[in-house]
Amino acid sequence: MIAMSNAGASRLVLRNDVAELERLAGWIEGFTRQGTSPDVSFAVQLCLEEAVANIIMYGGADAIVIAVELERNYGTLVARIEDNGRQFDPTRAPGPVPAASLDEAKVGDLGIHLMRSFANGMDYERRDGRNRLTLRFVEPPAASSEEVR
Amino acid sequence: MDISADDLAGGITKVVLRGRFDTTGAVVVELPFNKIATEKQKIVVDLSAVNFLASYGIRVLLVGAKIVKSNGGSLVVVCPDNNVAKVLKTAGMDALIPIYQTEAAATAALAS
Repeated sequence: MIAMSNAGASRLVLRNDVAELERLAGWIEGFTRQGTSPDVSFAVQLCLEEAVANIIMYGGADAIVIAVELERNYGTLVARIEDNGRQFDPTRAPGPVPAASLDEAKVGDLGIHLMRSFANGMDYERRDGRNRLTLRFVEPPAASSEEVR
Repeated sequence: MDISADDLAGGITKVVLRGRFDTTGAVVVELPFNKIATEKQKIVVDLSAVNFLASYGIRVLLVGAKIVKSNGGSLVVVCPDNNVAKVLKTAGMDALIPIYQTEAAATAALAS
């Protein structure tokens, strides 16, 4: 049996306004202040910023409600993002094409690539007219292997 | 997020960015950063005091580097080996913008 701290789930509801990203960052910082390694905390900040910024900028509808949930599930931090914007599956988005030179480099399209690289898992489903994205972040063994036998 | 610029020897301009280089921070520094990129030829961007970087921040760096290059100059970045450097590398920026761990290495590269 593994004994681990489980802080339960925390939920934040945001509007599709760029100013909300600051509130998101502060909320994540509060959740990850204790019991989360600096690397996982950074990865969660990055992936949620990218995911929510995408919804705010490209979600389409006039008033989108974005619900973000964070939960510790033993050694894994699970983030769920749900929104009522237009259907968009980031897991199916094509990866960026590496540019040969600065002149040819395209500006943008990096957010989803960063999410894929910094999260340990990413699942999407469209249900009841909503996008539901689940991201997983696994703590390195040193921070999550307090086994009690 | 803060931005400041200092002139170094050899016509090099050092731009220091501080704080969270996320969407919120990038919006704040984008215009002053582009202004420096338009006016200066040799630029060192010091990210040592940047503790977070997201794609909008990368966009600002990339646009700045493109502006400097189109004017015949060059822009390099100083970034210690941390999560910010990992974001830059994951985004493929290390192939487009020279990244150095110290200011001495960066200024030496611009002086040569």
